[in-house]
Amino acid sequence: MPDAHFYRYDDYDRTLVGERVEQFRDQVRRRLAGELTEEQFKPLRLHNGLYLQLHAYMLRIAIPYGTLSSRQLRKLADISRKYDRGYGHFTTRQNLQLNWIRLEDAPDALAALAEVDMHALQTSGNCIRNVTADHFAGAAADEIEDPRIWAEIVRQWSTLHPEFTYLPRKFKIAITGSPNDRAAVRVHDIGLRLWRNDEGEVGFEVIVGGGLGRTPMIGKTLRAFLPRNELLAYLEATLRVYNRYGRRDNLYKARIKILVHEVGVERMRADVEAEYAGTRDGLLGLSSETIEAIAHQFAPPDLPSRPAVVGAVEALKLGDRDFALWLKSNVASHRASGYAIVTASLKPAGAPPGDASAVQMEGVADIADTYSQGELRVSHEQNLILPHVAVEDLPAVYAALGRLGFAEANVGKITDIIACPGLDYCALANARSIPVAQRISSHFASLARQHDIGDLKIKISGCINACGHHHVGHIGILGVDRNGVELYQISLGGDVDFGRTALGTIIGPAVTADKVVEAVDAVVATYLDVRNDGERFVDTYRRIGAQPFKERLYETV
Amino acid sequence: MAKNLSGDLQVASANRLADGVVVWLDDAGEWTTRLERAAISRDRRSGEILLRRAEAEAFAVIDPFLVAVAEDDDGMIEPLSLRERIRASGLTFDAIAADAVRYA
Repeated sequence: MPDAHFYRYDDYDRTLVGERVEQFRDQVRRRLAGELTEEQFKPLRLHNGLYLQLHAYMLRIAIPYGTLSSRQLRKLADISRKYDRGYGHFTTRQNLQLNWIRLEDAPDALAALAEVDMHALQTSGNCIRNVTADHFAGAAADEIEDPRIWAEIVRQWSTLHPEFTYLPRKFKIAITGSPNDRAAVRVHDIGLRLWRNDEGEVGFEVIVGGGLGRTPMIGKTLRAFLPRNELLAYLEATLRVYNRYGRRDNLYKARIKILVHEVGVERMRADVEAEYAGTRDGLLGLSSETIEAIAHQFAPPDLPSRPAVVGAVEALKLGDRDFALWLKSNVASHRASGYAIVTASLKPAGAPPGDASAVQMEGVADIADTYSQGELRVSHEQNLILPHVAVEDLPAVYAALGRLGFAEANVGKITDIIACPGLDYCALANARSIPVAQRISSHFASLARQHDIGDLKIKISGCINACGHHHVGHIGILGVDRNGVELYQISLGGDVDFGRTALGTIIGPAVTADKVVEAVDAVVATYLDVRNDGERFVDTYRRIGAQPFKERLYETV
Repeated sequence: MAKNLSGDLQVASANRLADGVVVWLDDAGEWTTRLERAAISRDRRSGEILLRRAEAEAFAVIDPFLVAVAEDDDGMIEPLSLRERIRASGLTFDAIAADAVRYA
């Protein structure tokens, strides 16, 4: 099936990516021949997404704004089988990481990626990273405008941007086109939220200075309403101010959030607007023709009319409790009547969150071809999305995903855990994440129990860099190393969904690895005892505060 | 496992350039994937010498460094830190199999 409903590379893109692959092939050859030292080579491989982790090289592949075609997913499966160990890890930035790549194979893997309009550029380094977007983009019932149009425009502007290749620190941009933010825009260096003003015009709220990591901060509004055609000029001005004033003397204070925090958002806004005065009438103004040309490539698929209520679906819902739960948790409203958005859970009980084997990737690609217009999305919550499924096909999709192990009815539930790779893979980590996630997931495996607990998001990071987004977990878990022992800090009350962004609060002393499940269990039990009808965990926490949770937790562990 | 209270027992480790695999320097000055074959330095001075040897043999590896280890009565060695134990023995969970379809 062709990649019909989103951006396809033109000759310029293809040439650029192809040239980079060959350039890197030569760099690898020179490194292996000893013509380049590791010091010389390291920045070159990082510019191509190739990290060195604990056990092997890791290739981080950009999945632009989390959108994949079935053809691309099959290619990822093929690359993982041919050049890695036959599986990959979908990340919290909508990317895919292959953990066992050989250096000498990396150019071939990149060449294979280029065959399907993909690359690993700007998945590392102090540049503008792969732009992320709402994983329901192009399908969500509540969408004002497809954010991928703008993510693609930003991608073209930011790819190998000469002025922003050596920023003070990495720079992450997220875009949502929905009032119900699913892209975590307030915890990015720049978050863009499309909204419609009183005049009916659609523009961006530009949010700056959010982020997680060592110093978590919620972004502040830099511009309440930016006309769409001014996006690039305004971003250019913002990046210039950051590039000029962002701290380069201290790695831990180099992100834009620190700059905004130190100078204040008013001063930041004044500086950006002053810079913008010089850029707004330049080459970066977006003509309606340019916008239309990109938007045309994201034109919605031509979905044939299908019934919105299907007797067989209703009957199965009554007869199969797990299917009924799956409909509740894994199926979301589509903007077209008779269609739904399905989330394939990459979190079967006890499995490493976000991992998929080559066979599973190919299986999901087949399902996408048969039931979802050949389209897929990757969520920052490490799941795969089938964006255009007819309601009457839901039983078949449920069954097909079940055969792959991806039909767990747990999206948004306690076992839909976000976890970074942690100390099992990562050279930066202090503690393991995946085994902790596995133990929690196994402990709470009962679907009936999960649905009784309701929406509860656990996010686990193996170090303070917070790739597992623990600061915004309803229950956040941070692994730390104290004198060679893994300990886990528990925080409560974080949130990132639907504009209710909040940072969690550490509840007390860290617990040992063998007590994490008991600690989570105590927190959940406290919630179940005191919740009001229909009250989510995080809302109960906000109502009653930390003390009851804290008392029960430390009585238990 | 015998204690290494002084922290003086050390081996030299690195990642192999071609594939990133974890290796240790053996007594013959070769890089091996088998920790039990690693050359052990038993005091600070010999540790410095071991590291210099490793750096001199670094053509096919990346950034050699010293790893503190403990040694038992049978001469078996084990890194002291969890990070190095994981580097030595691999993932602490079962990674998904390449042909995995179901976990159950």
